[in-house]
Amino acid sequence: MLITRRALPRRAILKGMGTTLALPLLDAMVPAATTTAQTAAAPVRRLGFVYVPNGANMAHWTPAEAGKTFDLSPILQPLAPLKDRVVVVSGLGNSPADAWGDGGGDHSRGPAAWLSAVHPKRTEGADIHAGTTIDQLVAQRMGGHTQLASLELATEATGLVGDCGGAGYSCVYIDTLCWRTPTSPLPMETNPRVVFELMFGDGATREQRAIRLRENRSILDAVTAELGRLRTRLGTPDRTRINEYLDAVREVERRIQHAEAQERKSELALPDRPVGVPDDFEEHVAVMFELQALAFQADVTRVTTFMLSRELSQRAYTKLGISDPHHAISHHQDDPDKLAKIAKINTYHVSLFASYLERLRTTPDGDGSLLDHTLILYGGGMADGNLHSHSPLPVVLAGGAAGRLAGGRHLSQPLDTPFANLLLSIGQLMDLPIDRFGDSRGALSLT
Amino acid sequence: MRIGGLAVGVLLTGALHPLSDARASQAASNPSADDRSLIARYCVTCHNDRLRTAQLTLEQLDPAEAPAQASVWEKVIRKLRAGAMPPMGSPRPDPAAVSDFVATLERTIDHAAANRPHPGRPASAHRLNRAEYRNAIRDLLAVGVDVADLLPPDSGSFGFDNIGDVLGLSPLLIERYLSAARRISRVAIGSASIAPTTDTFRVPSDLTQDTTAPGQPFGTRGGLVIPYTFPLDGAYDIRLRLARESVTDAVTGIRGRHDIDVTIDGVRVKRFTLVDGRLRHEDGSLAPEERGTLIIPGSRRNLGFYGDDVARVADEGLRVRVLVRAGPRLLGVTFARHSAVEIESIRQPFLRAAPENGDSHGAPYLSSVAITGPFDGTAGGDTPSRRRLLTCQPSADTAAVACARRILSTLARRAYRRPVTPADVNDLLAFFREGRAAGGFDAGIELALTRLLVGPAFLLRMEFDPPNARPGSVHAVSDVELASRLSFFLWSSIPDEELLTLAERGRLRDPGTLERQVRRMLADLKAHALVENFVGQWLYLRNVPHVRPDRQLFPDFDENLRQAFRRETELFVEGLLRDDRPALELLTANYSFINERLARHYGVRGVYGERFRRVTFEDGVRGGLLGQGSILTVRSYVNRTSPVLRGVWILENILGAPPPPPPPNVPALVDTDNNGQVLSMRERMVQHRRNPACAGCHAKMDPLGLPLEQFDAVGRLRVRGESNEPLDLSGALPNGKAFTGVTGLRQALVTQPDEFLTTVTEKMLTYALGRGLEYSDAPAVRGIIKGAAGTDHRLSSLIVGIVKSAPFQQRQAADAQRK
Repeated sequence: MLITRRALPRRAILKGMGTTLALPLLDAMVPAATTTAQTAAAPVRRLGFVYVPNGANMAHWTPAEAGKTFDLSPILQPLAPLKDRVVVVSGLGNSPADAWGDGGGDHSRGPAAWLSAVHPKRTEGADIHAGTTIDQLVAQRMGGHTQLASLELATEATGLVGDCGGAGYSCVYIDTLCWRTPTSPLPMETNPRVVFELMFGDGATREQRAIRLRENRSILDAVTAELGRLRTRLGTPDRTRINEYLDAVREVERRIQHAEAQERKSELALPDRPVGVPDDFEEHVAVMFELQALAFQADVTRVTTFMLSRELSQRAYTKLGISDPHHAISHHQDDPDKLAKIAKINTYHVSLFASYLERLRTTPDGDGSLLDHTLILYGGGMADGNLHSHSPLPVVLAGGAAGRLAGGRHLSQPLDTPFANLLLSIGQLMDLPIDRFGDSRGALSLT
Repeated sequence: MRIGGLAVGVLLTGALHPLSDARASQAASNPSADDRSLIARYCVTCHNDRLRTAQLTLEQLDPAEAPAQASVWEKVIRKLRAGAMPPMGSPRPDPAAVSDFVATLERTIDHAAANRPHPGRPASAHRLNRAEYRNAIRDLLAVGVDVADLLPPDSGSFGFDNIGDVLGLSPLLIERYLSAARRISRVAIGSASIAPTTDTFRVPSDLTQDTTAPGQPFGTRGGLVIPYTFPLDGAYDIRLRLARESVTDAVTGIRGRHDIDVTIDGVRVKRFTLVDGRLRHEDGSLAPEERGTLIIPGSRRNLGFYGDDVARVADEGLRVRVLVRAGPRLLGVTFARHSAVEIESIRQPFLRAAPENGDSHGAPYLSSVAITGPFDGTAGGDTPSRRRLLTCQPSADTAAVACARRILSTLARRAYRRPVTPADVNDLLAFFREGRAAGGFDAGIELALTRLLVGPAFLLRMEFDPPNARPGSVHAVSDVELASRLSFFLWSSIPDEELLTLAERGRLRDPGTLERQVRRMLADLKAHALVENFVGQWLYLRNVPHVRPDRQLFPDFDENLRQAFRRETELFVEGLLRDDRPALELLTANYSFINERLARHYGVRGVYGERFRRVTFEDGVRGGLLGQGSILTVRSYVNRTSPVLRGVWILENILGAPPPPPPPNVPALVDTDNNGQVLSMRERMVQHRRNPACAGCHAKMDPLGLPLEQFDAVGRLRVRGESNEPLDLSGALPNGKAFTGVTGLRQALVTQPDEFLTTVTEKMLTYALGRGLEYSDAPAVRGIIKGAAGTDHRLSSLIVGIVKSAPFQQRQAADAQRK
């Protein structure tokens, strides 16, 4: 059973305070569970999202047969060794990403509506408005158990100020997939070094990081003592701000202690801290996937979202022999040559994802592997890149979700089934007490 | 509600005893039966116990007892001064009688307040906001930090982000303070443990780069000047990226030869030469040509571009590694200007410069600069922050702790804004010892500094009740507390040495000293914070960078204009402060500060170049805040003007009479009549008046905003309106006084300056106190304005008045403790 800070009544904490706050009191509030202490009866479920842009060659994506016996389509071939761990879902459409009278801007609406299933507000100004995304709902519920409630990663940062794509939408809609509230988009980090430091602390080596964590904790201890002295000089009604300060410091100390505990208990051999952003795209993606696996392994977080490439991406996949920019080709105009190139790019992306799944499969976690206990949604916010359609969307689910997802199936849905139905199912799989999400009309049956 | 004729209102104009006239109030008589019968006849018809119109009843109240019910009577005073009550169309008393009545009320309340002040109670623990944090670090350590990068935005209230009650603390904020403290300490000390990081600076895509940019030498065009603190002596990678067309991702305008200079502190460290998109090396050879097809010139907008691959990799080679000494420096990147000849094309280009969708003017532009480093850095360089921090150096091991004690005491005193106690210093010394054991003297100071920057003594402004103070009693704030109030008001930063020393010695309140200090602080460059933070929020200047007028309707609008708008208003107000002009000149000035871009926008001839210079407007229309593009654009919609937004702005910020918020679910205005004819703005606004639920407030807002229709949604003058009709610029103040156009509005406001003066004073007092104002502050506001009357209400007099006022000088002890 996880003991969280909320379990201890606040009065007990304040009563226990004289002029200093002794550490043993904090220990009692630190969650005792770690990945090694799990049992099969209480598995720790992880959730991941991976996004690919500019649509896909859906004819080559969707497998021909449905059900348990089906052949992987050409684009999904890289998943062959893991076929029994994936579920292909076809026929879903995300109507909130359609124009609904707002004109162009599908590249903005696609990502904004992908995890929210809400039609985003067309504006270039500060009054942006979308919807709370499903990953954040899960993070809000589970986040208290880990150092970070969730992790948002991407490979391409924004370069444009104001409008992106010239359709009257603020760049923030393309820059992020995650919204904490309908008006608070979360930034996505592209620098592996920053992500590493966020997860494991400041410092190039393990020793340095441990020292920094310890220093931070001792600084916060001193701050708490100072706050205690300050508090006694104030009358009761004036103590509100000081109490708020104390609460905040305590919460941060809890996270630090958690990180220190993980550091001590884990035999995790962390790689060297990355220096910065790799020049090579494949290397960058590999580092970001590795960081996500590490995050799950060290229980730094249980919810990750990764934008593998950004809408409107102009990347030229020269390694695949394609010199045209991605977005340019995605406007294929039914040219078979261009369609073939798109399929090649899609397949390449799937292969990068497959490597990640393999890493998760070979990592032990409790009584199984990380892949057994994780649920990942891989897909895109756009279907046909030329038509800018949002149905039928490319969707693959992977992982066992700790016994709740059986793999090796192709679930073919009636065309234009709301994508939100899938998001709702995912939320329920992660124990969210919801029966509606976005424009859902009922949960998809995934079991 | 009936809307009476304007004729009735004309009688009431300008007849009230002005607050600005110090003599007038003495002539009024004591409260008498006249006042009570005034109320009975004109007010109680609606404001009685049974009807309670607007939740107000005056039936049982006696104006002679005004101080006891000041909360009600201050509302009465406000409405009467604005001429808003009795409402138009109802019977109204003789203006002279009203003005006598108001003067009596004010005098009675002010007299009582002088004997029993209510200075109010700003928050006991008031957190530094971002701007104050940044300035405090700058003044304490001589280190510049980008707070937008380090800290989340602050919550605001009453229009300002320095209101103590809403500046909260959260775990996220503590984590950010912790990581910011580490980074700042590292840079301040110049610690060897600083690892290479990348900082990227972007140029907005719609900023002109065809002319000399501010801060760059003549003979150059475009680019960027970046103030950057290089943390260590060492090597830094500088990488440039050029602007690209959004569809093809090709660098724009690479045909021909282009020279790009990289300078540090004005000295060129590298020149890149691009010839047709290929880098020319030092020895004159060109980089190898990429494979690619030549696209026929002229296929895009008169400017052809070469093979896709060349165009897309044109900026790959734009990186250089330079050795730089630690410290704050200016990094410049710019293009050499080879020809002053304007780009010719068949169509007149827009004033906007935006390399998007083939709109390039035939030259490359800078998109971003990335600085990565330090590599092979050496610690302990000579930087301003080290000089500031390390006031002594340890000569032997035994002297190290004594030296550290000196350094940390000096630091803590400035950082905590008060004399330090042994507990303060020992706390810091403990961390010094811990850091020194791990990494030496510098590392010890660094860790102690980190501890200092995260504690409440630095992050919170504290004010304490005197021990054993009676609940609710009034006391003067201590000199040390007063010093902080002063410096955060005028500088948004910590007190400097002179101010702090005076306060510690208890000399701050010596006769004449306080006023001398205020004037000294206003003359200091740090007083720019007043413009940046107070004016920036009061006049919505912080919103200017975010305005996005519709590009189809306003094709000339770009970043140059955005920056120019903001700069104009900042320079204007700064000028008024520096030259100590009367406050009213904010409205009545017939001049402003503009550059060429702004001059072209406003239609002023003969102004050339990027530099802002003072220009007098001959037409009598522009001039003062009401004619400045910043306010006019921020108070418009992206595709049209809004008389309502502008009217509300005037009500709030000039007349001090903000209307209540609109009801929910207000439908959009109808644009066209039944025949499909586009309605003029005035015709559209008529719909406000037809609906009785709307008319109450709109009768006041619309007549203020409609006369400003001579300015379009981006502040340009026009003679025809939205539907091309000739403009009808008639309007009226809430008290009924009629006028025409912005010139008329200005004159009308000047004849009754009290509202504006009161509003400015109230806003500034809110900002100065860090709390919202209440009815009990009204006597102080009136006192400040009366006190400044002798000097024509110069801004400095108002500021001195604020500093000397009871709310600023005193504080109320907490009320009886609640369990």
